[in-house]
Amino acid sequence: MNDISPKIRLLDALNKRETDRPPVICMGGMMNASIVEVMQSSGYTLPAAHDHPELMASLACAIQEQTGFENLGVPFCMTVEAELLGSQIDKGTLECEPKIVKEAFSSTGHVVFRDLDEMVESGRIRIVTAATSKLVQTHPQLPVVVSMTGPVSTAASIIDPMIFYKELRKNPAGAHRVLEYVTELLIRFAEESIKAGATVIAIGDPSATGEILGPAMFQEYAVRYLNILTSAIHRLETPVILHICGKIERVRPLIPQLLADAISTDAMVNLGKLKEDYPGLTTMGNLSTYALQWGTPEKIAAQTEKLIEEGIDIISPACGLSTSTTLANIRAMTQTVQGA
Amino acid sequence: MNEQTEQLYFTALSDAVLNMEEDTAINIAHKVIAEKIDAYRAIERGLVDGMNRAGKFFEDEEYFIPEILLCSDAMYAGLNILNPHINREHQRSRIKIIIAVVEGDTHDIGKNLVKTLLDAAGFEVIDLGRDVPPSKIVDIAIIEQADAIALSTLMTTTMDGMSEVIQLLQQRGQRESFQVIVGGGPISQGFADRIGADGYAPNAPAAIKLLNKLFGKNTYA
Repeated sequence: MNDISPKIRLLDALNKRETDRPPVICMGGMMNASIVEVMQSSGYTLPAAHDHPELMASLACAIQEQTGFENLGVPFCMTVEAELLGSQIDKGTLECEPKIVKEAFSSTGHVVFRDLDEMVESGRIRIVTAATSKLVQTHPQLPVVVSMTGPVSTAASIIDPMIFYKELRKNPAGAHRVLEYVTELLIRFAEESIKAGATVIAIGDPSATGEILGPAMFQEYAVRYLNILTSAIHRLETPVILHICGKIERVRPLIPQLLADAISTDAMVNLGKLKEDYPGLTTMGNLSTYALQWGTPEKIAAQTEKLIEEGIDIISPACGLSTSTTLANIRAMTQTVQGA
Repeated sequence: MNEQTEQLYFTALSDAVLNMEEDTAINIAHKVIAEKIDAYRAIERGLVDGMNRAGKFFEDEEYFIPEILLCSDAMYAGLNILNPHINREHQRSRIKIIIAVVEGDTHDIGKNLVKTLLDAAGFEVIDLGRDVPPSKIVDIAIIEQADAIALSTLMTTTMDGMSEVIQLLQQRGQRESFQVIVGGGPISQGFADRIGADGYAPNAPAAIKLLNKLFGKNTYA
């Protein structure tokens, strides 16, 4: 009985409906699977694919076909938003993901608030949405996941994070003003992606962890703006996956307040226990990317089995994959879930 | 000035750092100079004491990154005023540490925390910043005749740069010249062992303890 499409299975999991087995996906964005092996064998390579919709779509397909992940994920970085907002980006190399060379502004007080309609039409949002449209047309059975950078992380990529973090405490009014602005842009990005056919929006917010912010600021800044963004996406009847980096002990009680349809966590989090404590939560994760890079296929299969036994709803890597991860290791993960 | 009155200034400096009050730290530092109180002791018993208390709060998870960054601003603001007034006798030779975030990673919060606590602990720190190529790290460590190299990363994708630093040191026959320690989100003791690092620390206060251990001191306080 394998006639259920990956798209339906993922949507069922996100809608808390019974599934025959958990989906196994890789959300893209900061957690993409564009490993060197796939790029070399397919000929669709980074950094070129960051800037060309056709290439972006082709690379997403190659990743899906070769790894066995049951989704298509775009883009392959978390700099689309920061670049649009004025930060200087280095697009990276085949092996190394894009990064921010210089943040656009020196403090919240210096942020220039631009017209959102204009911004949506510029930068790489159009490249992501064009790639999304193409993928939706060519692969109706597969869910297309568009990955975005969370509000705090976006803000911390247009203002030097060392300054922005201090302003969260010293200048809350300024910090909120910037977070409202970037959240509006993210909502527009999500809307355009959904118009292009995105099945799911995934949000990664690595700069907004409980470890960095502590519970009070996690509540005030992370939960608040993530929920504004999630609600806006829900109004377009599209589910949201949220990835939280790092340890979550200090913010654990706040997790159920997050409105996202699934919560993905890092490898150090005991996801089975989290699910036990909050049965209403749809959990995603969290196969160690360290194991994926350095482990053996047997070990990876065993760890994947464990996640399945614990009842994790969606199986995925726990963090960004190293580009030197091997296909054999990734396949050990996907094939274990697929029972191959 | 009697010892008790001096201690009031030291406590005020320490509290200013702990309470993230940069302006207060500056004001009191100026008063310390005006009152001709020993600048070295004001740094040790005031600013550094405050940063150590802040570090303890951080370990205990009462303070998080925004707080610790503001504490370190207050400490450095005070240091800028007091440092030029330190007596020569206190300018002893210190253990020199090169610190950097390896190439490809632009996250440098953890590294900055370690740097602040190393400063507070009396190490001499050369901060190469973020996104530094392994060859540059090795070059500067050799030129500066540093004692240790501290490397940080927050992303799994840039961990390889750490082992590259160690390989480069080996190639140049300089591996034994430096203690190499690694840390950051995705790093583990297992990874440190695998690449042949001398130590691993899971967080900034632990990095200071590790270096103290490697160089034969007891604690950083």
